Amino acid sequence: MNQNTDLLTLRSVSKSYGTVPVLHDIDLSIKDGEFLTVLGPSGSGKTTVLRLIGGLEPLTAGEIRLDGQDISRMPINKRPFNTVFQDYALFPHMTVSGNVGYGLSVRHMKRKEITRRVAEALELVQLGRFADRFPAQLSGGQRQRVALARALICQPRLILLDEPLAALDLELRRQMQEFLKSIQREIKTTFLFVTHDQEEAIGMADRICVMQAGHIRQLGTPHDLYYKPNCEFVARFFGENNLVPGKLGPAQGEQRSIETALGRLVCSISDQPHLKAAPDGASAFAAFRPEALHMADATDSGNSFSGTIADLAFAGSSTVATITTGGDAAQRLRLRMPSRIDGSVLKSGETVSLCFAPHEGHLVLA
Amino acid sequence: MSAAGSIHPRERRLSLLVTVLAFALPVIFVLVPLAIFLVYSFFSVDQGTIVYTPTLGNYVRFFTDPIFLPVFWNTIVLCVSVAVICILLAYPAAYFLTTLKGRWRYALLMLLLVPLLMSYVIKIYAIRSILGLNGFLNKALVALGILQQPSNLFVFNMNAILLTLSLLLIPFAILPIFLSLERIPQTLLRASDDLGASGWQTFLRITLPLSLPGVASAASFVFVLAIGDFLTPQMVGGISGFTFGRILYSQFGTAYNWPFGAALSVALAIVVICAILVGERFGRNRGTSI
Amino acid sequence: MNALPRPSTIFLAAITALVAVLLYSPLFVPIVSSFFTISHGNVDWSSPTLATYVALAENHDILAALRTTLIVGVCTVILSVVSGTLLALYYHGRRSGRSFLQFIIFLPFLMPPIISGLALLIFFREIHLERSLLTVVIGHTVFVLAIVYRTVLMRLQSMSRTLVEASYDLGATGWQTFWRIILPNLSSAMVGGAILAFALSFDETMITILVTGTQSTLPVRLWAMMRLGFSPDINALVALILMFTVLLCVLAARFLIPRQMATERT
Repeated sequence: MNQNTDLLTLRSVSKSYGTVPVLHDIDLSIKDGEFLTVLGPSGSGKTTVLRLIGGLEPLTAGEIRLDGQDISRMPINKRPFNTVFQDYALFPHMTVSGNVGYGLSVRHMKRKEITRRVAEALELVQLGRFADRFPAQLSGGQRQRVALARALICQPRLILLDEPLAALDLELRRQMQEFLKSIQREIKTTFLFVTHDQEEAIGMADRICVMQAGHIRQLGTPHDLYYKPNCEFVARFFGENNLVPGKLGPAQGEQRSIETALGRLVCSISDQPHLKAAPDGASAFAAFRPEALHMADATDSGNSFSGTIADLAFAGSSTVATITTGGDAAQRLRLRMPSRIDGSVLKSGETVSLCFAPHEGHLVLA
Repeated sequence: MSAAGSIHPRERRLSLLVTVLAFALPVIFVLVPLAIFLVYSFFSVDQGTIVYTPTLGNYVRFFTDPIFLPVFWNTIVLCVSVAVICILLAYPAAYFLTTLKGRWRYALLMLLLVPLLMSYVIKIYAIRSILGLNGFLNKALVALGILQQPSNLFVFNMNAILLTLSLLLIPFAILPIFLSLERIPQTLLRASDDLGASGWQTFLRITLPLSLPGVASAASFVFVLAIGDFLTPQMVGGISGFTFGRILYSQFGTAYNWPFGAALSVALAIVVICAILVGERFGRNRGTSI
Repeated sequence: MNALPRPSTIFLAAITALVAVLLYSPLFVPIVSSFFTISHGNVDWSSPTLATYVALAENHDILAALRTTLIVGVCTVILSVVSGTLLALYYHGRRSGRSFLQFIIFLPFLMPPIISGLALLIFFREIHLERSLLTVVIGHTVFVLAIVYRTVLMRLQSMSRTLVEASYDLGATGWQTFWRIILPNLSSAMVGGAILAFALSFDETMITILVTGTQSTLPVRLWAMMRLGFSPDINALVALILMFTVLLCVLAARFLIPRQMATERT
């Protein structure tokens, strides 16, 4: 098990339903043993990627390689992958152990061996006591775990999970996220997890692949995606962000300036060669997170500008201020700061001086 | 079994066989007989043998002979009346069912539908004995003082056919009306109440319009079943209760004129198809689901 | 429904009661007369008797007709369940030609039985198939096929598509998926459809009269006897059939109500 070797590679994979294209020329490598999340809004093609890998749908073009071997034409029941379906797809006429043992039993494994491994798998997902129940007698979270046990019992090279937590309520979903992550660490199997929920993606994934409109927009660690989004879509989709349009100025070392309606702002471009290479005057956005923005004081040497507080919203541990900046191109920005027990220092309607540090801002090409 | 990419050659051969069967069975045993039947209506009979030369004679006879069109028309009127009687009785009953809760609702529905499964011939026989001169109906009417003496008004005539068919077909009207009433979301009635409508207003302006599709399919159902029935009229209709179904059937029995019978069947089929289409057109529920 | 004012509830209940009485009166007449003697429309309540049942047991004519009916019913059920299920499996999820063939399958059920029956009568004559129990079975199968087809198709449609996908995904072959996943999930619908088909076949009269040969089924036999009036043992038969029918009805309801609904109550 080596996180640096590629388990599965998608090369120029395209998919159309009739004449409607849903995936355009996708390239993606999944590393052995990683937890990769495919994240995207509905209609982005993320589930299609999973169905193509699982063999539930044929490719329109391109190829899928497993350990370097082309498996694009391999029938679904021969692929060493198993899927956890969004609706769990538990067989209603079989007990929990019948469901979990199905994959072994269709391979004509000895009954004794099946019993042993089913017991093991159920132990792993903490459902040992429920072996003789029927799916209809289980709660949503329990069904979810049965589906997981059923998928991992065949010791697949890759487990595909299609929004498996979507039907669960918030509290249960949190528990299941941790549970899935711990199982994945324990069995060291590669997980490909599809979701539209970016919080879920951040919490679980080693790497995240952001998809939109049938394209992969960015692939990287949650940290990379959060702090170094490579396009406007990722910058907006992945967490709350302030984006201010402008024209690029000259680069200076690891920083580059941008001329915006808020004046000249300086942002970090470290490890992003495409930003260094972009020509002067190119359209771009200065992007900075609400928590990076703060009230300017005398010692601040960063990007500063003034704005009016339009609204204050208390959100528990933090308070979010909506700020309008003046000028012809009025901007709405958000500022997030820790809440204080004696109330906010800010007042609605107040005009304040704001700033963010250059290393906390980044640039996104328009 | 349409999952991608995994069709074994053996399964492909099987699926070809199934394809042929899936098309052949309905075509051979339904379409071909009906087609032959249609073709037959253009033949004629000469001294007990069928003449296989195409002619429109049967249709000309149907439209010009003074016997057939009036009977045809009277039968249609009779069956429409049966449908109306069934709906007048079935609607309140179906509505009552929907006011009941949970298990009671379905138990009572079941109770009203079970007679459907009871032997059809026996029911006709029993109804005839109820309607007869010594039957329960006459006894009851005499006891109530409505009639002076038992009457022959209810048996071996058109009235008898009307009453018998209605009695036989009520369950067919209850089911579609019940289903359409049950499908009306409770929230709509709540909303109507909430907007200040009285119970009666809510019924007239919300429930009734939304249940009309069920009424339409019930009516077409009952009409089609009534007009196709040739046994009931024969059993309770006597000599005066002459319906189209009886004439049609007699062409295959005593009259022995199969081609003419086929032509009469075409006329019957056209009326039935019209009734089904009308039922279908108005039976489609509009926007009862939100 | 919304709370009704009381008078209207009473009115509705009264009509419902009237309907129930109307529907059941034709059933009560033979049942009552199976236990009591009736003369000139008056029931002699004083002396209940099982004589009619004894007479029935000796009426070989009727018992033969009953046996014929059962044979026809069983053959019809087998043929219609097998072909109805195959057709449902075939047309499920398929577009081309489906609505047309579905229309054909439903025709005999929608058309008045006299038309279906006569069409088959002429058809059998044209292909020189002697009228016999075989033609009766074909007639019944054509008639009930739509019901079985629809029952199975509806179950297929309510079955999640991912069940089949999950089976393949776990390594099952097409056959394994069919025998171990699809068929068990259809079985209750098939049993329900079979019961309905049997009930329809058991009482089918109009098509049968047209296509039957020398052996008659029970309804046709009763029809022939009715012209002359029934002997009292027929009442006993009716009472027995009613019991049997109610039993079938309960069974059908059990199999046609989806499993989930049944388990939700526990």
